[in-house]
Amino acid sequence: MKKIDLTPQLTGLKLKNPVIVSSGTYGFGEEYVSYYDSSLLGGLTVKGITPLPRLGNPVPRLAETPSGLLNSVGLENPGLEEFLRSYLPKLEKLNTAVIVNISGFSLDDYAQMVSSLSGNSCISALEVNISCPNIKHGGMAFGTNPHSAEEVIAVARKHTGLPLIAKLSPNVTDISEMAKAVASGGADIISLINTLLGMSIDIRTQKPVLANTMGGLSGPAVRPVALRMVYQVYQAVKLPIIGMGGISNWQDAVEFMLAGAAAVSVGTANFVNPMTPLEIISGLEEYCEQRGYSSVREIVGLAHR
Amino acid sequence: MLCEEKVVENKLIGHPALHLYKLVLNGQIAQTAEPGQFVHVKVGQTHDPLLRRPISIAGIDRKRGEITLYYRVAGRGTDLLTRLKENETLSILGPLGTGFTIPQKGELLLLAGGIGIFPLFSLIQAVEQTKVKIKLLWGGENRRFFESAGLEELRRIALDYEVSTLDGSLGTEGLITALLQDYLARNSRTLKFACDFQMQDQHILRAAACGPKGMLKAVTSMCLQESIPIEVSLEERMACGVGACLGCVCTVRGESGNVQRKRVCKDGPVFNGGEVIWDEEN
Ligand SMILES: Cc1cc2nc3c(=O)[nH]c(=O)nc-3n(C[C@H](O)[C@H](O)[C@H](O)COP(=O)(O)OP(=O)(O)OC[C@H]3O[C@@H](n4cnc5c(N)ncnc54)[C@H](O)[C@@H]3O)c2cc1C
Ligand SMILES: Cc1cc2nc3c(=O)[nH]c(=O)nc-3n(C[C@H](O)[C@H](O)[C@H](O)COP(=O)(O)O)c2cc1C
Ligand code: FES
Repeated sequence: MKKIDLTPQLTGLKLKNPVIVSSGTYGFGEEYVSYYDSSLLGGLTVKGITPLPRLGNPVPRLAETPSGLLNSVGLENPGLEEFLRSYLPKLEKLNTAVIVNISGFSLDDYAQMVSSLSGNSCISALEVNISCPNIKHGGMAFGTNPHSAEEVIAVARKHTGLPLIAKLSPNVTDISEMAKAVASGGADIISLINTLLGMSIDIRTQKPVLANTMGGLSGPAVRPVALRMVYQVYQAVKLPIIGMGGISNWQDAVEFMLAGAAAVSVGTANFVNPMTPLEIISGLEEYCEQRGYSSVREIVGLAHR
Repeated sequence: MLCEEKVVENKLIGHPALHLYKLVLNGQIAQTAEPGQFVHVKVGQTHDPLLRRPISIAGIDRKRGEITLYYRVAGRGTDLLTRLKENETLSILGPLGTGFTIPQKGELLLLAGGIGIFPLFSLIQAVEQTKVKIKLLWGGENRRFFESAGLEELRRIALDYEVSTLDGSLGTEGLITALLQDYLARNSRTLKFACDFQMQDQHILRAAACGPKGMLKAVTSMCLQESIPIEVSLEERMACGVGACLGCVCTVRGESGNVQRKRVCKDGPVFNGGEVIWDEEN
């Protein structure tokens, strides 16, 4: 058996393989250590961090929908300081690339977080979440207007030398325009999609299921939308893409890479089968081998031929 | 642990209209399962329904390598479970969460609301082997419910219990809170004595409860008023079941009085009743 080169081409971000786990679906990396060795992952994205601790939204925070999941966690997190003190040292020991996902409510928030995170050698990249649908101010507001998206990324860029990932919201009419905006703001990589804004109503109580009324949809239900957006962003900008949204097995991952994703990220599927990321890695390897590719990089964007 | 467990038995118990099932599984889980923990069950083979379903571990038999689950058909997921046949396999994540404290001395007061009895079965099983005296107060809808949900078994092991029904068809008419009030009144002298004199361990009374949230809130405040420490098993909608998604939180008061979230799936489902903030406003 020929050894397949699994390393993806992601500006400045070096990963062993192209399979990452998504922000908010993997805690701070501790919960899945008893299932497998996290150093096998390409990378691990932590739960979104904000400058100050947040309690998040009230429960119910979850609602299952056909092949999908609505969540309104509302960025519950320990805050920047506590993250640096208690969580980062443990993440370092996992021996995998750590991507820190950050959210803010103002440009200053982003500037402050980016600067204090940048001094840490165990952080491989910063993912700027300008797309969270679950908080009232900031978050998605930055990610649905190209001008402010560019502004946030430009501010972050000014304060860090780390690879900068801009995470896009699918809740926009023109994803290409957003991709161009973050590219000119100075992003190195684009990740997409975050969750799609949705809701669910209990016909027995006649009230919304989620305490927060609306939430973000993820899982297989969003996959065709996510795939379409990856395809469009690949055509719109030159930046490498981390594709996500409903990826549940290696076939899904191949589909995203053919659409233009240099790497893929697994979120909701972890909840159903914690072994999904590892199964995807070996599936990708086998696909490449059977098709005669020597590197996964060769399949990126092939659907555009 | 993620494993495939073999179905030993999956059958309707009691009255068909109540849709209660007993599911016995053989595999690895039994070796490490503790009372009050749960398993996260993959109910179908496709993306719909997508998520696993949390079910409490009601019985643990390490020798045979078996766990027993009791479930009520509540929707599509649990309905799919009923179709499982003997010798088929089921994907299980578990054992998950933090279970009950197993007392070694004194007396244990169990408080169950409806099918909240299920997780308490495994606690009864564990405590039965100690010197601890058990008293169960169990509230339910009517006689039919109790006859379907395992009362027979409790009689067989000669457990000291009292029940209440909404319609008075069995035991006392009313809610479990009436049973508890009565119990506390009857025992108030000994209880008072116990806390005044910091009684030795063998007289210590603790409580453990599982049931609807309203009931848990009420019994917790009644027990705490009498200085009886109480553990409660909470329920919340879950996605990951392992503490990674923060979907299933409850709100608690930390040691320094600060309000914080805990994950029902990982830090619970069993919590110290005194720390839970029941009515969260925000
Ligand atoms: C820790 C824990 C232990 C449990 N133990 C038992 C048990 O031993 N026996 C038993 O019969 N039931 C138990 N439940 C409740 C059981 O999980 C739900 O009845 C079941 O998930 C319903 O799924 P469904 O598809 O049939 O219903 P649906 O209503 O179609 O489910 C839709 C979604 O809501 C969730 N959901 C619905 N009801 C509940 C609920 N009460 N708690 C949590 N999530 C819910 C489902 O998981 C699913 O994601 C437990 C719940 C928790 C959290
Ligand atoms: C419970 C939950 C919490 C999430 N939290 C965050 C978050 O904090 N920051 C973020 O950028 N994305 C968050 N996401 C979005 C995911 O990272 C991912 O973009 C999205 O779920 C789509 O991928 P999936 O369908 O594979 O889950 C969250 C998703 C879920 C389901
Ligand atoms: S269900 Fe994910 S944290 Fe509890």
